[in-house]
Amino acid sequence: MYEVWGIAALWLGLALVATLFSIWFRIATALSEIVVGTVAQLIIGALIGTTIGSDQPWIKFIAGTGAIVLTFLAGAEIDPVVFRARWKEAIAIGFVSFLGPFLGCTAIGYYLLHWTVKASWLSGVAMSTTSVAVVYAVMLELGLNRTDFGKAVLAACFITDLGTVVALGLIFAPFSMKTLIFAVTGIALFFILPYLTPWFFKRYGGRPSELEAKYLLFILFGLGSLATWADSEAVLPAYVVGMVLAGTVGKDHLLIRRLRTLCFGLLTPFYFIRAGSYVSIPALLAAPIPLLAMFVGKMATKIIGVYPTTKAFKYAQKEGVYTTLLMSTGLTFGSISALFGLNHKIIDQTQYSILIAAVIASAVVPTLIANAFFIPKYLLPKQAPEPVE
Amino acid sequence: MLTLKKLLVAFDGSPYSMKAFEFALELSNLSPEPSHEICVLSVVQVPEPADLVEMDAIIDAATEHYEEMFKELRQKGVAANVPVTTEVAVGHPADQIVHYAAEKGCDMVILGHRGKSRMEKWLIGSVSKRVTTYAPCTVTIVR
Repeated sequence: MYEVWGIAALWLGLALVATLFSIWFRIATALSEIVVGTVAQLIIGALIGTTIGSDQPWIKFIAGTGAIVLTFLAGAEIDPVVFRARWKEAIAIGFVSFLGPFLGCTAIGYYLLHWTVKASWLSGVAMSTTSVAVVYAVMLELGLNRTDFGKAVLAACFITDLGTVVALGLIFAPFSMKTLIFAVTGIALFFILPYLTPWFFKRYGGRPSELEAKYLLFILFGLGSLATWADSEAVLPAYVVGMVLAGTVGKDHLLIRRLRTLCFGLLTPFYFIRAGSYVSIPALLAAPIPLLAMFVGKMATKIIGVYPTTKAFKYAQKEGVYTTLLMSTGLTFGSISALFGLNHKIIDQTQYSILIAAVIASAVVPTLIANAFFIPKYLLPKQAPEPVE
Repeated sequence: MLTLKKLLVAFDGSPYSMKAFEFALELSNLSPEPSHEICVLSVVQVPEPADLVEMDAIIDAATEHYEEMFKELRQKGVAANVPVTTEVAVGHPADQIVHYAAEKGCDMVILGHRGKSRMEKWLIGSVSKRVTTYAPCTVTIVR
C-alpha cells in the first residue's frame, strides 16, 4: 500500500510544481501539467528506467474521472438561451469549423504522412476541436460577449467541440447492437435529465451530504460505462449531459464551484500529467515535419472553412477576422482525442507525441502571435491627442 | 486648465494600488471642480492559452475577491464625500485600463508603482509603461 501512497505523493507533487509554473508564467494549468508530465517521465525514465505509474489502474481511473468531469463542466458552460436565439449561425459556423480541420488533417495524415486510415481519422478528430476559452477570453476583452455576433460565435464553438466528441465517440465504434443500445439510452436520458435533475435537487438537494455531486457522478459514470461497453468514449455522454443540464445545473454556481474544486484539486492533474507522460521528446525531435504539417494544416483548414461562412452570414470584415480565433485548438478535447487513440492502439507513441505537440502548438502559437504583433488598435483613442502647448 | 472630473484608479488589491486610490481621494478633495468621481477598475488576467472551465473559475474567484475589497474603497469614498464606482474587467491589465479610460472619458489614470523583476517585465510587460504610451489622458504613477 505504501507504494500507492508514494506514487500519489509523486503525482500531487508534480501537480503542485505544475500549478506553481502556471502561476509564475500565467499559463493554463492544463498546459503546465502536460509539460511537467512529459519532463517528469523523461527524467525518471532516464534516471531509474521506469515509468511514473501512468498505467496503474487507479491512476487511469482518477485521470478518466478528471476527463469526464472536466468535459461535463465544459458542456455546462453553454448558454441555452443564446443558442436557441442564434442556432442557425452557431450550427453553420461551428460545423464548418469542425469539418474543415477534421477532413483536412485526416487527409494530411493519410496522404502526406502515410498514417493508417484509422490513425488519420483520429488525427482529424484531435485537430478539429476549438478552444471555446480562447474565443471567450477575446470576446470578454472586446466586450463582444454581449453582442449578437459574440454570442453566435461562442455558441458555434460549442458546436465544434460537440462535433469533435461525437466523431470521437462514434467514428471508431463498430456500430453493433451495443452501439444502438448506447445511442437509444443516451438520447432518452438526454431528454429526461433536464426535467428529472432540477426536481430531484429541489426535493433532496442543498444538504451537507453533497447529494448533487453524487447524483451527477452516478449519471456520468453510468453513461461512461455504457459508452465504453459500446466501444465508444465516455466523454461523449459527459459533454452532452453538461449541455442539456446547462440551463439548470449550470446555473447553480455553488454546485459548479464545488465540482471545479474536485476537478482541479484532485482529478484533472492526474489526467493532464498522465497525458503528458506518454509524450516522447526523442520521437518529436526525430519527426518535426509531421508536427509542422499537422499544425499548418489545422490553421489553414480552419481559416479556409470559417472565414467564408462568416461572410455568408454577412458578418463585417472585422467580425469575420475575429472568428479566425477559432483556429486555436482546445487542450482538453485535443488531448482527450489523442489519448483515446493511444489507449485503443489506433495510434502509436510517436503519432501520439506529434498530435499532442500539434494540439499544444495550435493552442499556444496563435496566442503568442496575437500578443507579439497585434497592436490593440480598438483600444486607442479615435483621434490623436492634441499636442500640449 | 486641467479638469479632473473623473479619475480612474487601476486597482489590483496591492498596497501600491491602495496608495493610488488614497492619492485619488486626496486629489479629488483638492480639485476646484464641484462634482468629481473616482472610477476603480480591477482587471482579471486569465492564463494563456485559456481553458474554459479554469478561466471561468478564475474570473468568479477574482470578481468575488475584488468585490470584497471594493467595500472598503466605497466606505473611504463616503467618508471623503467622493462618489466611487467600481468595475471588474477581463483581459490584459494595460489594455483594459486604456480602453476603460477612453470609453468613460476619464481625465486622469492613476496607477500604483510596482517594482518588477526583469523576468516579470519580459514575461508580462510593464503595465504602467503600456498605459502611459496608449492612454488618452494624463497618467499619474504613485510611488
